[in-house]
Amino acid sequence: MQPSKLLKPGLYSEGSSDREGATVRLKGGRCRCGYVFFPMQTYGCERCGSHGDALTSCELPANGTLLAEATVHLHADKNRPAPFTIVKVALDDGPVIRTLLADDSAPVAPGQRVTGRLAAVGQSESGETVLDLRFSIAS
Amino acid sequence: MTRSLNELRPVYAVGIGWHRYQNPSETPYVELGLTAIRAALADARIEWPAVESSYVATALLGMASGRPMLRHLGATGAPLMHVENASASGSTAFRHACIEVASGISDVALAVGVDKRNPVRRSDTGIGHLAEDAIVPFTHFALLTNEYSVRHNASAEDIARVAVKNHRNGAKNPNAQRQQERTLDEVLGGKRVSGSLTALQCTPIGEGAAAVIVASEDGIRRLGIDAGRAIRTTASVGRSERVYPPGAGFDAALTKETADLALAQAKLAPKDLDIIELHDAFTVEELLYIESIGLCPEGRGVRMLKEGALDIGGQCAINPSGGLIAMGHPIGPTGIGQIGEIVMQLRGEAGPRQHGGARTGLAHMVGVGAVCYVHILQK
Repeated sequence: MQPSKLLKPGLYSEGSSDREGATVRLKGGRCRCGYVFFPMQTYGCERCGSHGDALTSCELPANGTLLAEATVHLHADKNRPAPFTIVKVALDDGPVIRTLLADDSAPVAPGQRVTGRLAAVGQSESGETVLDLRFSIAS
Repeated sequence: MTRSLNELRPVYAVGIGWHRYQNPSETPYVELGLTAIRAALADARIEWPAVESSYVATALLGMASGRPMLRHLGATGAPLMHVENASASGSTAFRHACIEVASGISDVALAVGVDKRNPVRRSDTGIGHLAEDAIVPFTHFALLTNEYSVRHNASAEDIARVAVKNHRNGAKNPNAQRQQERTLDEVLGGKRVSGSLTALQCTPIGEGAAAVIVASEDGIRRLGIDAGRAIRTTASVGRSERVYPPGAGFDAALTKETADLALAQAKLAPKDLDIIELHDAFTVEELLYIESIGLCPEGRGVRMLKEGALDIGGQCAINPSGGLIAMGHPIGPTGIGQIGEIVMQLRGEAGPRQHGGARTGLAHMVGVGAVCYVHILQK
């Protein structure tokens, strides 16, 4: 097995593996007021303004319901060639996130259950496989 | 105790002017801005020294762009400030010009918006993101288009009709960046940008300028301004995004609360509005926002659009200027240009795009962040 590394280790970690591959735990936060957010930050709670010890890290499974999808046909950034598909997902724990659909995913539609997994997106300079979060239809 | 704008002394728009919105060119911003200001002064029939304070709306020109422009009108020493509030920069400048006059600090103030299409630079917050670099505004609104279509069973054709109407309005506006009528086939057949959005359903960011001069009743009398052409601002509300229930679209929720406050301030109901100029940077926004403003129940916007109720001459003319889709969206000027369009309509001076009998108009802008500004003007 090739050595690998996460593209954005500050935002997610590798969870347990199933036959579809590695699941993902998102690094979210929870405020004393009950508000759950992503990603974790310590500046202050958007709902109540509490900061410091009021905010604690929590792991959010990358499972949720698709709210919307859009395939981008034109994108100015050459590092991210179009087409690619953006998904808006309501995580089961509350936060709504927007990120990329897996390139090999079947087409998705609002209301479907989706899961985030780690997908190979390139090679690091030292030869490791770089893994990033991608969503696809939940198995 | 706090007071709203219409509880202070009355404030009127007395002069309006533009430099046409256009594709990026070699024309310096100074020339764009001066053209709009001189047109507004001529419209009000006053001279530059009468202007006691200036609010310069610009998002993309960088630091301190106002004085190098205003000095060519004759350096009177009057105060000036710059307003950057994303797409709502112009609306925000207009609000603060109105507040300055309504408060009694000045009798005559200028709100001018000017911009060139320079790169947008936003500072890093220090908080990471999954893929926000891949989600430019047209994809944000492509996602909302997908949600609206599914929730309300609206087709791509239904939503694209917003662009057909607004291009038709823009074709009659000499200050519009796009002045060409487009068929539904042309709109749908154009270059695909993101999701179901095609190029003619997206605003063409360009350059230009817009200016509005506001005055008190004292100022109008003292300067001999024609009171019959002065249009009163009867509500001004600015808001920023709160935390909404998960999955609720913040653009629509923020618009609803801002518009509700403005209508309450002017003691009006949505059905009283004759004209709405709103932030239609992308077609779906027009449907979302007329529903948020309360013109019709959620999901009924397409029906109004198809019935012609949103046309010039219909129940409520939406974006008679052509809106952001056809008139354009040079950022700083946009919110001020909306006010100018409403003033023109309420005066009955809008020529071939005149909405008959217009007495009440509402201007709406959202800006990334998100912020929302709503003004109501009445004859």
